[in-house]
Amino acid sequence: MPDTHFYRYDDYDRTLVRERIAQFRDQVRRRLAGELTEEQFKPLRLTNGLYLQLHAYMLRIAIPYGTLSSRQLRKLADIARRYDRGYGHFTTRQNLQLNWIRLEDAPDALAALAEVDMHAMQTSGNCIRNVTADHFAGAAADEIEDPRIWCEIVRQWSTLHPEFSFLPRKFKIAITGSPNDRAAVRVHDIGLRLWRNPEGRVGFEVIVGGGLGRTPMIGKTLREFLPREELLAYLEATLRVYNRYGRRDNLYKARIKILVHEIGAEKMRAEVEAEYAAVRDGALRLPAATIEAIAAQFAPPALPHRPAIAAEVERLRLEDRAFALWLRSNTAPHRLAGYRIVTASLKPAGAPPGDASAAQMDGVADIADAFSQGEVRVSHEQNLVFPHVAVDDLPEVHRALGRLGFAEANVGKIGDIIACPGLDYCALANARSIPVAQRISGHFAELARQHDIGDLKIKISGCINACGHHHVGHIGILGVDKNGVELYQISLGGDVDFGRTAIGTILGPAIEADRVVGAVDSLVATYLERRTDGERFVDTYRRVGAQPFKERVYAAV
Amino acid sequence: MAKNLSGELHVASANRLVDGVVVFLGDAGDWVTDIARAAVARDGRAAEILLHRARAEAFTVVEPYLVAVSEDDEGALEPLSLRERIRVSGLTFHAIAADAVRYA
Ligand code: HEM
Ligand code: SF4
Repeated sequence: MPDTHFYRYDDYDRTLVRERIAQFRDQVRRRLAGELTEEQFKPLRLTNGLYLQLHAYMLRIAIPYGTLSSRQLRKLADIARRYDRGYGHFTTRQNLQLNWIRLEDAPDALAALAEVDMHAMQTSGNCIRNVTADHFAGAAADEIEDPRIWCEIVRQWSTLHPEFSFLPRKFKIAITGSPNDRAAVRVHDIGLRLWRNPEGRVGFEVIVGGGLGRTPMIGKTLREFLPREELLAYLEATLRVYNRYGRRDNLYKARIKILVHEIGAEKMRAEVEAEYAAVRDGALRLPAATIEAIAAQFAPPALPHRPAIAAEVERLRLEDRAFALWLRSNTAPHRLAGYRIVTASLKPAGAPPGDASAAQMDGVADIADAFSQGEVRVSHEQNLVFPHVAVDDLPEVHRALGRLGFAEANVGKIGDIIACPGLDYCALANARSIPVAQRISGHFAELARQHDIGDLKIKISGCINACGHHHVGHIGILGVDKNGVELYQISLGGDVDFGRTAIGTILGPAIEADRVVGAVDSLVATYLERRTDGERFVDTYRRVGAQPFKERVYAAV
Repeated sequence: MAKNLSGELHVASANRLVDGVVVFLGDAGDWVTDIARAAVARDGRAAEILLHRARAEAFTVVEPYLVAVSEDDEGALEPLSLRERIRVSGLTFHAIAADAVRYA
């Protein structure tokens, strides 16, 4: 009986990771001994996920397709305790960042990670980064096929791929297997969406050239339907075209989105298809046996039949308001009746979004063992997910999460804010993000009010790099610097739902930090006055336009 | 309290190589964690020299650079930019403690 229901390392993977740690240990030794300059060492540490931030080194750990076993999560807690200050930050790219690693400890921290088949490679640099996926993968009721099988295939192909280790710029791929996109595929360098065509075959829609950052773009569909077994050939063709034509002369124009924008989707498609025609029948065509072997590793756990309705859940739903709200916002339909997907909110009112202490990570691992097949997911919205919880167990899981402080019934609501590390940690930041998020979530702490306001996504970035996805927030908040003062620019109408993906529009002049909460309050009030039945904030905004929101926010000036 | 905000005053700062901790070049050419003990350059020429010295002493630190500071009547130094103030003061919110279970 396997201890996980996802990919397990083989000897090849283990050897590769071990060799990398041995090399890095020696590189660190030589740097500390003065044999390497910073200029020589920096690219070496970055390829191992070690950044230098404002106050310390930061280790960015890859969590492939956002999937963790309880054993891995406990090890992360252990590393955070032993080598860091006992907490970590789950990011929008399903990674974990430890903010206070000492350079001299970094090789030991990586060795500890390797004990549970994890590493920090390809979390930096101009390579294919850790591939992200729908955090409900393998469990969602609306899923066509588990996207992680394909993430793993891409991982194996792209890891240390010699041709694609020095791309013009970083490269991010996201994969979803559901019509309801939970992986933001249209704002990635390549987004892949599995779907079933009218003939009943499952394949990929290939979306290329999306991205956020300084120049946000929505990706263009290059291929409506790509047979699954041809995925790697098509990716290789696309990356080759990008490697050949992508701009290396200008950092700001180097992403594939700029290439697609400059030459147009038609020309890009023609180039990729020509390259693809040359390679499609070569070594990259995936044999059915290979696909099956990897798919088998993601075989769903054998979940026993459980009743779809539990008396205790029904009783609590009526009697316990907090539980009823939680059930509504923090649990989602599972592919099997009798089970739900549960999201642990890492966004208690007033807390730094996405942060978890070592004790909380251990607590989440315990809950996963007891109630969710030992499995946890990291969402790009910076929450943790239990993919397989029996309906019967929901009251117990709710109580256990309450003890950890992760039972806030706010998933998808105004308190469930995405925020990048911002100026408290990040060397590139213009302004702080986390304290702004804390003030907003503190202001809207009351859960019944959050539920009345409904689905509303606030996303905050501390600079134009957009790590906090502000462009696609229903309300986006971007920190800017004006003569040494932190100001915040608000944009409205961004969205990442499939078919509705949109980049937000700037509302007006940037405002001071102490006016941000008031401005969000005004936006919410405007929405509440004007909404019609069933309209979300962003729907009302689209219907009535920016003017009423703008008037209200700037009236106070 | 009068503050010298001329933008003429500088200290040299870097991150310590072994652990990334914020440090300043002290008068004796050593790297110190307390900005109060940083060597201060009071004009453009002195700033240039300070940066040269910092680079010459950079074996145990990463990429030294100049930080513009103000000085009050008591001689207390404070960086002019928010970024550098945060480097001196640390996080501006309470990070979670290792053993914290938020509502326990
Ligand atoms: C060491 C701290 C970080 C640095 C130096 C950094 C750097 C950058 C840069 C330079 C960009 C812009 C890329 C471009 O436009 O070409 C970017 C984008 C992005 N980063 Fe970060 N980032 C950091 C932390 C984070 C964190 C913590 C997250 C997740 C919470 C994150 C996720 C993203 C995402 C989602 C994007 C936008 C998507 C894209 O277009 O690539 N980054 N980052
Ligand atoms: S958006 Fe800017 S401030 Fe925030 S983490 Fe990214 S680079 Fe840093």
